[in-house]
Amino acid sequence: MKITDLKVSAGAFSLSVPSAEFAPGKIHGITGHNGSGKTILLKTIMGIMTPSSGEIDYEGLTVQEVTLMIQRPYLLHGSVYENLVYPLKLRGIDPKAPEVADEIDRLLDRVGLLPLKNQYARSLSSGERQKLSFLRAIIFKPKFIMMDETLSNMDPESEAQILGLIREIQEKNPVTWLIVNHQLEQKENLCDEIHRMEKGRYCGIIKG
Amino acid sequence: MNGVIQWFAECFSDAAILSAIKVTFQMAVFSCLISSVLGIGLGLVLERFDFPGKRLVIRLNRTLMGMPPVVAGLIVYLLLMRRGPLGSLGWLFTIKGMVAAQALIITPIMTGMVHQYACSKAPAVREFCRTMGASKHQTAMTILKEMRHDIYFCVVTAFGRSISEVGSVMLVGGNIKGRTRTMTTAISLLKSQGIFTEGIALGMVLLVMAFIIQWLGDALKREEDGHENY
Repeated sequence: MKITDLKVSAGAFSLSVPSAEFAPGKIHGITGHNGSGKTILLKTIMGIMTPSSGEIDYEGLTVQEVTLMIQRPYLLHGSVYENLVYPLKLRGIDPKAPEVADEIDRLLDRVGLLPLKNQYARSLSSGERQKLSFLRAIIFKPKFIMMDETLSNMDPESEAQILGLIREIQEKNPVTWLIVNHQLEQKENLCDEIHRMEKGRYCGIIKG
Repeated sequence: MNGVIQWFAECFSDAAILSAIKVTFQMAVFSCLISSVLGIGLGLVLERFDFPGKRLVIRLNRTLMGMPPVVAGLIVYLLLMRRGPLGSLGWLFTIKGMVAAQALIITPIMTGMVHQYACSKAPAVREFCRTMGASKHQTAMTILKEMRHDIYFCVVTAFGRSISEVGSVMLVGGNIKGRTRTMTTAISLLKSQGIFTEGIALGMVLLVMAFIIQWLGDALKREEDGHENY
């Protein structure tokens, strides 16, 4: 994905990305202080916010192949399972098909949510919500996945579970990741490239 | 205890009282149905689309939410009277006319409530649907599904408002025995005639209905709020 001369305004705040490139199949980290424009960048890539100028070249990716885990995930009225199968149903995939059902149970088990499968999703704790949001984003196998501080509210065990799943995906069928985290420097091993943002401006790659 | 049951049995064996209950239900169900279709649609459209004069429309609707029922009744009466613009319909002093008056009162309330709920919920749902790759139609369906409790609460409120209305139905319906007399207009008439027993019986039926309706609405809100864990 290539971004050129992107400018986005959000009230008094403005974001500027002169030039950025996110190579496919790699894990890209984006770091920067609070208010540096990381979330706005992700939302603009997702199409939730409209840029005032500039261009995003998705290089053939469709809307259905891009996803974003927002900072405070929206959970639908319903169970953990109903939330998880929502993107599958949107794509006409039968969640009760044996191989799909097995995959759902396997993923839930990997992050420790299997016992909560039929629990009302909005009764989950903050960390559990983030894990459900993560599974919901990867279940339909998108090619470009963005995470907005998804790892921030997790305990070390939950974080290890999620990082394990990311590594598993990258080994089997690599996709592009854009991971926003203000403490990303501590997770250098995770990212292939780390990009920095400061005061509403994209500053380039600091590791890669 | 037996005396009370016998008293109720006597009251409800009266054909006029049974007719008032039937007319009330007919009027409330149809006016609620029409207002729901219009109010839900308008409320969602007002949230979704921006157009010149939108703020004025919202303010006008809020004004209409507080419109005195007797004023709505008068407007509908003037429209439906024999020499009025809609006089040829022959709806004056019929249940149809009463439904029209009720719809005029309830639709702005439905619109305002649905708009308010949609403003607080739809943007987050829309954003979420975008991240899931939903189409416009799928997004609209998801918003409706996510707002189902709110919408049901609005309908229950509208129904409650409809069964308890007096002023407009009296004007447009004419309080004709066996045809357009509702429970509320019957109570009003019975009181003026000094017949309090049947009036109290009807009032108790109305109170029980109001209680059931409010309980339903309240239960829905509790179900929604009770599950939250932030």
